[in-house]
Amino acid sequence: MNKILSFSKRNFLEMIRDPLSYLFCLGFPLVMLVVMTLVNDTIPEETGMTIFRIDSLSGGIAVFGMAFLMLFVCLTSAKDRAGAFLTRLYATPMKSGDFILGYTIPTFILAILQILITFSASFIISKTAGVEINVFGMFLACLALLPSAVMFISLGLLFGTLFSEKSAPGLCSVIISLGSFLGGIWFDVEKTGGILEIICNALPFYHSVNAARTAMKFSNECFEHLAITVCYALVVSIISVIVFKNKMKADISD
Amino acid sequence: MNAVEAHGLTKKYKTKIAVDGIDLEVKEGELFALLGVNGAGKTTAVRMLTCLSKPTSGECFVCENNCVSRQSEVKKLIGISPQDTAVAENLTVTENLKLICGIYGYSKAVTTEKISEMTRLFRMGEVKNSRAKTLSGGWKRKLSIAMALISEPKVLFLDEPTLGLDVLARRELWSVVEQLKGRITIILTTHYMEEAERLADRIAIMFSGKIAVQGTLSEIERLSGKTGLEESFVEFAEKYGKERI
Repeated sequence: MNKILSFSKRNFLEMIRDPLSYLFCLGFPLVMLVVMTLVNDTIPEETGMTIFRIDSLSGGIAVFGMAFLMLFVCLTSAKDRAGAFLTRLYATPMKSGDFILGYTIPTFILAILQILITFSASFIISKTAGVEINVFGMFLACLALLPSAVMFISLGLLFGTLFSEKSAPGLCSVIISLGSFLGGIWFDVEKTGGILEIICNALPFYHSVNAARTAMKFSNECFEHLAITVCYALVVSIISVIVFKNKMKADISD
Repeated sequence: MNAVEAHGLTKKYKTKIAVDGIDLEVKEGELFALLGVNGAGKTTAVRMLTCLSKPTSGECFVCENNCVSRQSEVKKLIGISPQDTAVAENLTVTENLKLICGIYGYSKAVTTEKISEMTRLFRMGEVKNSRAKTLSGGWKRKLSIAMALISEPKVLFLDEPTLGLDVLARRELWSVVEQLKGRITIILTTHYMEEAERLADRIAIMFSGKIAVQGTLSEIERLSGKTGLEESFVEFAEKYGKERI
């Protein structure tokens, strides 16, 4: 346990001491929250478009922010592999599970902090925008986002294990863009229909966003979205654990 | 008891034999230098001795523990300072040392005591609160060695510890290594003749994955018929090496 805690602490410090993590994981999502609320003010009520209303937007922005955490866990693990730091640690009594949990735990803590900050900002914005938001609904939305956090962290670890520190961030950027687009953060997927709706439904991002949105509204639909997100999180986690273990084994037998 | 042993240790890659059937015996408390040009197989040999690479054939042991079948035991007995500076860049000197203490499961009190000891030994007091990424190459190497040493290993592997350092930083690091001599077994890889000559009790000269000669400096001089390590090295290189020096 000591090994996991020590390595987790190191990874936590590495991530919070990188100024870019504040910019991307907090600054960017919060700016989008404010900007999209301002955009929402310019949309006439008769259009019936509520996608940018703070009660709808906050869940999507929280998912958008978590996608950046994927980038940071990916960068940390890819950098460790590229340098001799992991070589040093491979020669210590640390096992593959210690490494996996050491990367996952601090990022999960950061995800919780990020979700709390996003929803706190949403609460303040809702008060200034005069939109009613149920605090208990927000709490449920925070809980509904936890499987998505696991999924994004596992994706980050997977890419950081498979790709170099130069190629991995590019791939993460593609996932961030695709995730925010196909997650229905910026448009109403149901109203779009067709092939786009089918793609959105097949991927986890739309369900991550809607798990939070529907939890906030105490809707039973939440369970369906949550179940799909949990399944994706489980599958991605299992794949990333297998890939990391195999890569570590390959690294130390080569 | 021998601290490190290798018998017919070989590492083959698809098209290259990196280490070709080497035999080593390093006694407890000895400082043993693996000397060779770049690509001679020194780092690959160290990787196998530190459980970071599996031998294609042959066996190696650390304190009588097989490096393949008793990896967990071996890892508790060794410390390694890799060729590239292996420190956590965004952590301070103290935090880096604390990380290693945590990995080895030391209590808070022991950790504090060990960090003070390493800070004193490596004279790192002035930089103990500086982040690793702000340190000079010399300080980073010192930190890297301190991180390898803080777990009190029986065998310390120093892979090209002074590579890329200026002459002053190199000499300062040598004096630190000299302080450690006799206290623990040290395996040092280097391609600097002066370094091996000054620090090592015994030296093995490697060419193309093979050990051309091993022994004390005077034994190597006698076998080569030359005076000084550099002259002896050149003599063996001409005899064994198809490699360029």
